[in-house]
Amino acid sequence: MSITKEFFKGFYKENPVFRLALGLCPTLAVSNSVQNAIGMGLAATFVLLCSNVIISLIRSGVPKKIRIPIYIVVIATFVTIVDLVMAGFAPALHKALGIFVPLIVVNCIILGRAEAFAGKNSVFYSFIDGLGMGIGFTLALTLISIVRELFGDGKLWAIPIFGPSFEPVLLLILPPGAFLTLGLFLGFFNWIETKRSA
Amino acid sequence: MKDIIKLGLILLLVTSVASAALSVINNITKPRIEEQKRLVTERALLAALPLANKNAIEPVYIADTLRYFIGYKDTLRKDIVGYAFVAKEQGYSSKIETMVGVDTIGTIIGIKVMQQVETPGLGTKIEEIKYGETTPWFQDQFIGKKGTGLAVDKDKGEITSVTGATISSRAVTNSINNGIQKLEKQIGSFKKSNEETQE
Repeated sequence: MSITKEFFKGFYKENPVFRLALGLCPTLAVSNSVQNAIGMGLAATFVLLCSNVIISLIRSGVPKKIRIPIYIVVIATFVTIVDLVMAGFAPALHKALGIFVPLIVVNCIILGRAEAFAGKNSVFYSFIDGLGMGIGFTLALTLISIVRELFGDGKLWAIPIFGPSFEPVLLLILPPGAFLTLGLFLGFFNWIETKRSA
Repeated sequence: MKDIIKLGLILLLVTSVASAALSVINNITKPRIEEQKRLVTERALLAALPLANKNAIEPVYIADTLRYFIGYKDTLRKDIVGYAFVAKEQGYSSKIETMVGVDTIGTIIGIKVMQQVETPGLGTKIEEIKYGETTPWFQDQFIGKKGTGLAVDKDKGEITSVTGATISSRAVTNSINNGIQKLEKQIGSFKKSNEETQE
């Protein structure tokens, strides 16, 4: 196992959103502005990192039959911590992300990594895996949100980019825009892969 | 059977550790979260009652529930500059809560949206501050208007709604209408004109 390989696989080769098509629900829902996307990405990364480490630590003591409920308890605990800390220290972000913070519990990337990686590998590699996958998820969200916020709202990081004459494509920040943008990105990366293998 | 008990005990152990950890975190963050909530209300009150002394805004409870606030000119608490209340109505994707301030004759003197999770880029524009301006244009429309019979343009009213967000705009407008009616009942009635205050 190589550290760099485990770390960077989440960026592109096994990117949770673009290559594995996991965690699409929060991807579609909170990619309407760059601030939301990065906030959600960091929150999910934190949960992923902590749950990966804890699950890897306790993996030998977890009976196979009840591993899923135990993983869910671990994940839900960290999500609640993120939720409380965010409400206390970053109220604006907490307000913007709303229901999607508690919903990190059911983000399948996190349970997926617990099942596929942390439950079988050492603490150190689980940490690297969680960090890489989390950053990969954040990158994917950010990429989609840049397109949506820039063309759908005429802004980036809530700062107006185009002059007042720019007429934003409202559709892009609405739910259909999320599907369209995600679809185009998925298609683009698939196209690159077929080009490569051909 | 033995297996079930063993598995149950393991689960019990895991959940106990988790809840212990959460109660610690909850104790640490609780005061901060309450402080944040208080700050939101305080800022909204100052925006809703710009003429009131910030140390002389008093909450009024009827039957143990907070109904409205009275804003006084100074800490002597004699001259009332207005009343403020929280207007709530379901918008498009959230309950929109707006702090509304009215003077003693029922004219709106300040409003501030406190809580909303509307569609970013559409409904959230009820709080939009346009480039080069300092106050949100949608909320500014209400200031100086009598708080009865307000309606958005789609309902043949005088409030210009946010493009693509008629539901959010309507929710704010209607909640203010209803809130002012309720307030009027609670305080008796508004004064007829400004002169009365000077007598």
